Amino acid sequence: MAAKYVILPCNGLDKEAGCLARELALKMAAATGSEIICPVLYQTAPSRYASLLQEGSLVVIDGCATRCASRIAANNNLKIYRKITMAEEAKKRDYNPGPDWRVGAGAAAFVEDVWRSWQPVFMEAEAGRVPGENAGLFAGPLEYAIHRHDKFIFRVPLAGFYFNENDCWVQVEGNRGRVGISDYLQQNLSDITFVTPPDPGTEVEQFGEMGTIESAKAVYELVSPVTGRVVAVNEAILEAPELINENPYEKGWIAELELTNFEADREFLLDGQRYMEVLKEKVADFNAGK
Amino acid sequence: MPGNSSRKVYVIPCSGIGKMYGLLGREAALKTVKELRPDKAATMCLALLVYGDNEARKEIAGARCITVDGCPKLCAAKNVEHAGGRVVERVRAVDAFRNHRGVDAGTAAHLTAAGWQIAEELAADLAAKVDRWYDAGEEQ
Repeated sequence: MAAKYVILPCNGLDKEAGCLARELALKMAAATGSEIICPVLYQTAPSRYASLLQEGSLVVIDGCATRCASRIAANNNLKIYRKITMAEEAKKRDYNPGPDWRVGAGAAAFVEDVWRSWQPVFMEAEAGRVPGENAGLFAGPLEYAIHRHDKFIFRVPLAGFYFNENDCWVQVEGNRGRVGISDYLQQNLSDITFVTPPDPGTEVEQFGEMGTIESAKAVYELVSPVTGRVVAVNEAILEAPELINENPYEKGWIAELELTNFEADREFLLDGQRYMEVLKEKVADFNAGK
Repeated sequence: MPGNSSRKVYVIPCSGIGKMYGLLGREAALKTVKELRPDKAATMCLALLVYGDNEARKEIAGARCITVDGCPKLCAAKNVEHAGGRVVERVRAVDAFRNHRGVDAGTAAHLTAAGWQIAEELAADLAAKVDRWYDAGEEQ
């Protein structure tokens, strides 16, 4: 049977973060029956892995902030299903990778913990869970306000959406909130190439990080407009990040949260009308070169 | 010439992922630079060179390099040369098994005790090579 996942890990050599990436790759491969791609051999002889990459979803595991594995994937136009960065995982857990290359007990426990947090993501996909099972709950915007500038047209939903000044929105239904980025931000970023949504189960605070979006121009840290627990991510944008460019308020939603403090959060958010004013200022400032 | 030998000798293994020989070479290389000859030897992550990191290429340019490869593809030797390193020794992990025929050294994920023993022997060999090239100076 073909491997469901194909893992492209960091070379994992002279920094502990790299060694941890390698350990996680081995652990994941053993647990899921995945195949591992040697990053160096892939670069030297890509045809060797061509059929593997066609059969399985690609999981990239980076070690340090240099993110060699991601770069190798990007250089070869590989479509990434999930990206795990050990340096970021360490930051989340207050674990400090040191200069050691031997994986001691502390490091082994850290890798185990990282795998425990990611395992449900891969197991849910294995079980064929349909993402966005509450799709019917969130209807698309009924009406948009439009701001035109030169050849650009920016849309802002008039009702049901709240924004922060970081150009992220939340659409609220009961105690659920769906979050994404605004039309203005997606146009600024241009062609989006990769999305790292927050992991399901993550507790996110208002104005806390909730993943990243990468385009050819920049890597953008998403700032959550609300506090809550991530209950679903939009799996469709992992396969097709361009959905955010095409339709940032509907098909391009990023994650769904169970809201825990929305009444308080709302005081720091902008409704569609007020966000439109902020958007106009941003467009004017951008064109003034500020 | 004094000072010429001060530049460290690079010991660069292949990534060591996916095959036991690669893992063995990787462990031997790391033991050499981290434990046996930290003052004379350094290593570099091969993936940095492979994807064309400019800083890594500058660092390696013209430097004496001992490459350690696991499989016959010789990724380390080829990529280090391609990146501008001076490969003074091409070591193959498989050759370390000449005196250990039939030994179960482990898997791509873990070495057995026998595997670690072979890695230690290979590391000692690498350390001797580092000494030779470090002491010879850069013009050699």
